[in-house]
Amino acid sequence: MSTLKHKGKGPQALTANELREGYSVWLTQDMTWSRDFKDALITEDQDQIDAMQAQGAKDDKANLVVGVYFIDIDAKSGQPARYRETFRMNGPSWDTAADVIAKDPTAKQSATAKKD
Amino acid sequence: MYRYDEFDTQVVKERVDQFRTQVERRLDGRLSENQFKPLRLMNGLYLQLHAYMLRVAVPYGTMNSDQMRKLAHIADKYDRGYGHITTRQNMQFNWPELTDVPDILEELAEVEMHGFQTSGNCIRNVTSDPYAGATADEIEDPRPTAELLRQWSTLHPEFAFLPRKFKIAVTGSKTDRALIRAHDIGIEIVKNDKGDIGYHILVGGGLGRTPILGQTLREFLPRIELLPYLEATLRVYNRYGRRDNKYKARIKILVQETGIDEFREQVAQEYKQLKPLDITVSQEEIERITAYFSNPDFDETAGDDETFRKELLGNRAFSLWYENNAAPHKQDGYVIANISLKPQQKAPGDITSEQMRIVADLADDFSFSQLRTTHQQNIILPHVKKSDLPALFKRLQDAGLAADNIGLITDIICCPGMDFCALATARSIPVSQAISKRFEDPERQRIIGEMSIKISGCINACGHHHVGNIGILGLEKAGVEFYQVKLGGDSSENAAIGTVTGPGFSQDELVDGIERMVDFYIEKRKAGERFVDAVNRLGVPAFKEVLYV
Ligand code: SF4
Repeated sequence: MSTLKHKGKGPQALTANELREGYSVWLTQDMTWSRDFKDALITEDQDQIDAMQAQGAKDDKANLVVGVYFIDIDAKSGQPARYRETFRMNGPSWDTAADVIAKDPTAKQSATAKKD
Repeated sequence: MYRYDEFDTQVVKERVDQFRTQVERRLDGRLSENQFKPLRLMNGLYLQLHAYMLRVAVPYGTMNSDQMRKLAHIADKYDRGYGHITTRQNMQFNWPELTDVPDILEELAEVEMHGFQTSGNCIRNVTSDPYAGATADEIEDPRPTAELLRQWSTLHPEFAFLPRKFKIAVTGSKTDRALIRAHDIGIEIVKNDKGDIGYHILVGGGLGRTPILGQTLREFLPRIELLPYLEATLRVYNRYGRRDNKYKARIKILVQETGIDEFREQVAQEYKQLKPLDITVSQEEIERITAYFSNPDFDETAGDDETFRKELLGNRAFSLWYENNAAPHKQDGYVIANISLKPQQKAPGDITSEQMRIVADLADDFSFSQLRTTHQQNIILPHVKKSDLPALFKRLQDAGLAADNIGLITDIICCPGMDFCALATARSIPVSQAISKRFEDPERQRIIGEMSIKISGCINACGHHHVGNIGILGLEKAGVEFYQVKLGGDSSENAAIGTVTGPGFSQDELVDGIERMVDFYIEKRKAGERFVDAVNRLGVPAFKEVLYV
């Protein structure tokens, strides 16, 4: 696993969790955070990686995100290299919340928006 | 039921206020994450794989209907409409937002609940026999002892930063439903030759990456000595437990490295020193606590009711449910009713808010408003009159809660695994679903009989796989999940750690392999022989042969 210090190999993305809501987020091209991995900035360019690192440290300090770290991205698939990170990207493969929504579509589902 | 005293109420309220300001300070940056993390963990708030997770303590698995309704309300208002019962009898929510947590804790405090002792290196929430105070086979109700331990251990200043977490379980029966041999300290209430009631104390049990069964620390500890003796034991652990290596920090390693005799001697020495401090609880105090757990107002005239017997004969679904899900009660005309949270294609231990409310209503209507959670991740109505069972069963059916598989192959213990847990190496919920699907035929489940499958998503073993008749450990290599199998584990009073069979399997291979072992068992078993007995008689190698074809 790579860290905020960027020790990874190949293409990198920067991930964290939102401090307030807690959901997994990835840094985007315009240096904001998205709950959708599809928006993640993936790069091997050292200048960009430096900029990402600086942004991560800044947003951590500004109490927007928590636990910022770089992840290795598989160059071929464009997906996270580590199995665990693919889970953070996809969300749970089983969530009882789906049952709850099926019964009552108005149920509070604030978090569902992130993985749609 | 026990009710919080003024002290508890005040402490819980103060902690909510404290946490509210801690969250405020975290959000505006006055607290860093490093400073805040231990504070949130002290209130049961974790940051998991996808979101925060809040674990609510259910002391020794006992709850009343109002508390269950409050949990339902929290699930709806602040989470995603469901909760999950853990293997330590607690309830956890997978999706709370940090900004809501102070309000959640405030709402929990209204019904005397909180998240203390559900995290961190303290004495964790004490667990116990979910049949306590109801079962016919107990020497004494373990709840007053568990409550005494709760009061002693809650926010105990000396034991807030132990080398590692510390788990205590208490049982009052010979039949162990609390897994006492897999706890840091296991307590069995016993009676000596003179007829005095005391405690058999076990120490150094635990699962995790180094599974060890507890050893006897004291064969018979007089009742009055319980707290001072545990205090001495914890002091020895606090002093000598290894803080240099997280994986060697549990008391089980200390006891192993020291040797049980030497460890016992160290405790005895500490105990002597402790005398002047004397935290012995008086007989009056014990009686005061015990009074909270007195029997509810049982109907002494309740017997084998006519309607119940008719239903048993005429309604096959009901009789099958009764056979598996009802356990004998100490009071004539009553049973303990198990509500399975393992229906087909659901995550073991999950319960929706709607089901929580239904279960709360059922507790009000049929079980003196009392509920229990079990380490098998099910729910219990402890005192149900037989004559009420047909009506109860009907309402369970309507709520999708009438699965009749308690103790059978589909009553699987399963941790959240990679679907939710930040520490996981593989998923466990889909594996449990695949096994349930393969063995979905209720008739087949009954033919197989009593059997336990337990699944953990990593070496931490929250799914108790070491003590499953079949234990499954999820691992991952190069992005592919695989599952290691253990055989012959037992979580009862005959506790045993299973034996690893060999290389792991893919999920599909695993389910096929389990099926072959089950078929082999059915072919070879003697009359009345359970799966685990057959493994013990025939040996693991015989089962391995059919597992690895
Ligand atoms: S066993 Fe591992 S994956 Fe499962 S809940 Fe425990 S820590 Fe998480």
